[in-house]
Amino acid sequence: MFPEARLDVTLRVEAGRVAGVNIHSNRLVQASKLFAGRRPDEVTHLLPTLFALCGTAQVLAGLAAMERASGISTSSSQTPARQMLLLAETVTEHGLGLARDWPPLVGAEPDLAAARRLKLAMAAVRPALYPAGDWTRPGGGEVRPSLDALGKAVNEARAAVADILSADAEAVLADPDSFHLWHRSGNRPAARLIDEIMAPDLATFGRGPFLPMPEQGPAGLDARLDGDRDGAYLARPDSHGRVFETGPLARMSWHPAVTAQMGAFGAGLLARMVARLAELASSLQEMDQLVHALSDAPAPAACLVDGAGLGLVEAARGLLAHRVELESGRVKRYQILAPTEWNFHPEGPLARGLMGAPAGPELERRATLLALALDPCVACRVTVENADA
Amino acid sequence: MCMAVPSRVVAIEGLTATVEAFGQERQTSLLLLGDEVAVGDYVILGAGGTFAAEVVPEDAAREALAYLAQVLADGQA
Repeated sequence: MFPEARLDVTLRVEAGRVAGVNIHSNRLVQASKLFAGRRPDEVTHLLPTLFALCGTAQVLAGLAAMERASGISTSSSQTPARQMLLLAETVTEHGLGLARDWPPLVGAEPDLAAARRLKLAMAAVRPALYPAGDWTRPGGGEVRPSLDALGKAVNEARAAVADILSADAEAVLADPDSFHLWHRSGNRPAARLIDEIMAPDLATFGRGPFLPMPEQGPAGLDARLDGDRDGAYLARPDSHGRVFETGPLARMSWHPAVTAQMGAFGAGLLARMVARLAELASSLQEMDQLVHALSDAPAPAACLVDGAGLGLVEAARGLLAHRVELESGRVKRYQILAPTEWNFHPEGPLARGLMGAPAGPELERRATLLALALDPCVACRVTVENADA
Repeated sequence: MCMAVPSRVVAIEGLTATVEAFGQERQTSLLLLGDEVAVGDYVILGAGGTFAAEVVPEDAAREALAYLAQVLADGQA
């Protein structure tokens, strides 16, 4: 049997507060080293099947690393096409979170019809951009965008999200009054969950020192990965001792709806939930705009040569880094650093947010909500150990 | 790593499938899939395994399973 990856979070309560946070992960952070010896195209072919939730981002990070290692600059047609693929995955993952994972938190059934509608709409993006199916090809595949199919896919996704929220996502976040009216309406489970989290003690829950991931990733990441011979850095990354938060809140803190909640309640549970909504809305907007930037491009003749390269991609859950070393047409070394290793680091944003939190009958649920807001890519279980009992 | 283990569909009842991977059987919902699924097909499951996320071609599934077997044998899992 293949062990299922999971995170176990144990909170130790003393004198009415969380006095210790232990996060145990059995994620296979070093498995990618077994890509060594394979051809680069074999690896990019394998990645989408190996990573169910973020297969697109994994391939794009791998391609970026390989192309960088070989000094290949991709054509101006590849950039918007790849960004479109990435956004389709972000929309899918955030939307599935809202439709499938949020309703049970307020005692409702998952909205599977809307989840399916969204997933199928976004699944149409890949063939509408790369009809030959060669999007995983180093150097870039043949881009032949069907603008009609892409426009339909984005509209269908927007309609599915409107189903999930009972309102247009952009309209919900347009101004404080619209947001207030939406969550007070309680028309859908997502609105009810946000309404519950608007209570000040929940909105501020998980508020800790906010250390957002820099836009270009941590300084010196390539050297840190290069020097990581035993995999310790892949399991517990840092940047000069700091453990960044990566994902929607780190990326969307500029958005007025997110700024408003951060100003009122800090970088806690509510700000993280609203950041995910904001990123869903803004990703759909960006897809609309990108459709107009797409153009036909043949698959270039790209030749991978020996070298080392780092590829960074902003995946739905945060910064995803691949580092590759190529030698004689084969992978010599391959490393993957995923966002969950930052957000669920023993000294990362989840741990910082939970440390010192007040104990009480609601602690386990609140900690579970915070973990869900940070959106791990594997199952996560929270346990409370009460030394006071 | 959030690695997905391709699972072979061994039985289907309504919108629920029994799937098998590495000798372990489990049940999963087919509700989120767009493709028709038949016994013998391979699917990958979302986190927690409640829902099948995607149908994968047999050759890609076998390739991924061979790699995952190597991960197990190497002690990475």
